[in-house]
Amino acid sequence: MNGKRLILLAIVVLLAVAPMAQARIKLVALPERAATVIRLDNPNATLIEEERVLTLQKGLNKVDFSWKGVQIDEDSIRLDVLDHPEGVNLLSVSYPPGEAALVWEISSGGDFAETVRISYLLRNIDRLITYKAIADKAETQVGLRSYLVLRNFSGEDFEKARVLLDYGEAFEQGIDHEETKRMLFLKAPKVPIRKIWTFDAAQLPWDPEKLENRNVGIPVSYRIVNDAASGLGRFAMWGGKARIFQDDGRESTIFLGEDNAPLVPVGEKMELYIGDSRDIVVTQRKMKDARINLRKNDASRIVLYDTDELITAKIENFKDSPAMLTMIQHIEGQWDMKECNLEYKRKNAGTLEFEIELPARTEDGPAVTELTMHYHRRNVRTR
Amino acid sequence: MKRIIACMMILVVAGAASAKVDLTTVPTRDTVQLTIYNSADLTLVRESRALTLKEGANALQFSWANTLIDPTSLEMLPKAHAAEIDIAELVYPPRVKNLGLWNVASEVSGKVPVEITYLTSGLTWRAFYMGTLSQDEKTMRLQGYVRVTNNSGEDYENAQTRLIVGKVHILEQIAQLAQREYPYGRPGQVGPRPPMVAAPAPRLKRAAMRELQAMTESAPMVAKEVIKEGLSEYFLYTIEGTETIPTGFSKRLQSFEVEGIPVVNLYKYEEERYGDRVVRFLSFANDEEHELGETPIPDGTLKVYRTADEQNHLAYEGQSSFKYIPVGEEVELSLGAMADVVVEPTLMEAKTDNYRFDKDRNISGWDDIETWKVEVRNTRAVPVKIEILRNFDSSYWDLARNGQIDAFEKVDLDTVKFTIELAPRSKRTFEYTLTTYRGVRTEDWTRRSR
Repeated sequence: MNGKRLILLAIVVLLAVAPMAQARIKLVALPERAATVIRLDNPNATLIEEERVLTLQKGLNKVDFSWKGVQIDEDSIRLDVLDHPEGVNLLSVSYPPGEAALVWEISSGGDFAETVRISYLLRNIDRLITYKAIADKAETQVGLRSYLVLRNFSGEDFEKARVLLDYGEAFEQGIDHEETKRMLFLKAPKVPIRKIWTFDAAQLPWDPEKLENRNVGIPVSYRIVNDAASGLGRFAMWGGKARIFQDDGRESTIFLGEDNAPLVPVGEKMELYIGDSRDIVVTQRKMKDARINLRKNDASRIVLYDTDELITAKIENFKDSPAMLTMIQHIEGQWDMKECNLEYKRKNAGTLEFEIELPARTEDGPAVTELTMHYHRRNVRTR
Repeated sequence: MKRIIACMMILVVAGAASAKVDLTTVPTRDTVQLTIYNSADLTLVRESRALTLKEGANALQFSWANTLIDPTSLEMLPKAHAAEIDIAELVYPPRVKNLGLWNVASEVSGKVPVEITYLTSGLTWRAFYMGTLSQDEKTMRLQGYVRVTNNSGEDYENAQTRLIVGKVHILEQIAQLAQREYPYGRPGQVGPRPPMVAAPAPRLKRAAMRELQAMTESAPMVAKEVIKEGLSEYFLYTIEGTETIPTGFSKRLQSFEVEGIPVVNLYKYEEERYGDRVVRFLSFANDEEHELGETPIPDGTLKVYRTADEQNHLAYEGQSSFKYIPVGEEVELSLGAMADVVVEPTLMEAKTDNYRFDKDRNISGWDDIETWKVEVRNTRAVPVKIEILRNFDSSYWDLARNGQIDAFEKVDLDTVKFTIELAPRSKRTFEYTLTTYRGVRTEDWTRRSR
């Protein structure tokens, strides 16, 4: 505890002899804080548990608990009696006006030096998780390290506390107010990755020629599975900033990019977006969009029709290595495919997903793959 | 070299509360490597230092006042005795700015090489080019340069310099992370602080100039080679040897020079995009046929000159900026609108036909028929290639053409492209008739086209 800042948690035991009006007269005894636990398993709140020894006298005792310079959620404060749970009862809790304090009214069956556990939610102390991954030159696996970052801005110094996460062993750590500590807590040396290029026709421009001197970057991601085969899978991986590097084969690395990793439960996969590829170029064009199968009302107005649509996409791989492109296409409404030269999976009513193997470029130039989608949209109504 | 200070402190642990701190050594940087990005204000710095460790608990203090380092990126790895040295934690102590403390448990004592890496901002590089066309404009000499600028607040002496070409994804600007009050921010605080520019560290310009001069004098008299290699989605340019770039300075280095690239003088006409002017492009490909194709060409600006006479005097043709060009891709460098190549489309006839009526005798469909004459003139003394794009307001159309056209292409459902190649000082005229189907006439078009 640092006495210079007024952040102490004071516990004052009051004897129950005085009438209620005088209950705010504080008496001596400031019991020392014993074992302290900082629980960080909930990402939204940090629970502090601390043990103290209260000197209780037989009868009614009033215990005053006050704090200053720290933010405690008042409704979260609990008191648990450890030594004589049968003989010691918490009768009531009262909050004095205009004070960061509360008074416990405790009945004791005897004169006890009673160990109690006080727990409460403390604001402005938390943890972050960050990841650092170093991919091998061939981009087939990464060495993954995860760091725990403890941030304490609670107003309270913790000289020594047991820190608990939602998995793994608790560890002892001290952390002062305004201090940040970064610790390595997970090392997985060989995590297999899959590199994915994604072209989503709803997100990216169709015709790069129409952009004045701008490249269209095809987003590139690494896919990691949180399972035993990856050397992971023991617990859910918390979300946090992931920085990805690559071994350059010369005892050095380059920085590939960074992304926010989501929380990944065991068995699930995460995709980390590292940057954009400008070596794969997609030129998509609509070559036909005509109304067919017209239905008219008595006034010869078209009320219902189908469409005959043709979309082509030229995919050029300028890379000297093959790549697997995930291409997402969207067709709104009711539709049926008349002809499509590449296989696709229907992800939902209006989304088609193609997994397109792109060969490496040759001496003659880029490897070109063409997609042709000829489809009809059905029962389109006019307004 | 002056602002990042690392010092070794040995903690003699006699009960955590009464730890006595002894300052023992201040190791200097042995080598430094800079990997500078151009798509983001980001540089990866890797430096090696030799630490003197003692058996037991050691603390290494690292401070970075007046620099633009992202403190969350700091990392230290032992390069020897890795199994015996445990770098347990990095502590950012309270109420001390720009300082980190590594707690290191060592089973060895003596000198240990370590590698410290971090990300900084303030170092940038950009590519730019000079193109010199031959007198007949059939070939071009292309010189590529990189310009590296150091505004990081830190002098980097004898640094191996590497440049990254590629589009990196970052979540936060390094310059903002460097300015944070607390390295990882603090809970309860919403949003980053507005970015601040690091105050340039005061230094004597004359002294820096002397330093730079001393470096230059000792430099070899041959231009440095730039080694290029692909890594993931990036290209890595490694500049031979080392460079010294004091803070505030820029350095220009030649990255390549290629003679005799065959180029095509390409002109484009598209009213919707360029108005009624013809825009000039220089077209070539980043491939072997064009004496290139070894590596992608990073985006940058290009100044184009032309050899004007036999004495090799130069004429300035214009400036272009171009995008990143992968190996094998065609390049079209825009030099802006020109008046010496003219495209004049003229509407010669407009009529309607094939009216259809509904049962109430109202008009339900018709055809618009337009005949256009396009005159193309090349007033230049060199041959040119011209692409003329015409966009239509409907996808229900037919086109009949007349005259000599070198290539015709339907670009998409409502765009066509005519390509004409013209000899020096010549002109050509062609015609096309566009029939656009309106109303129920589109149904006839659809029936026919299926």
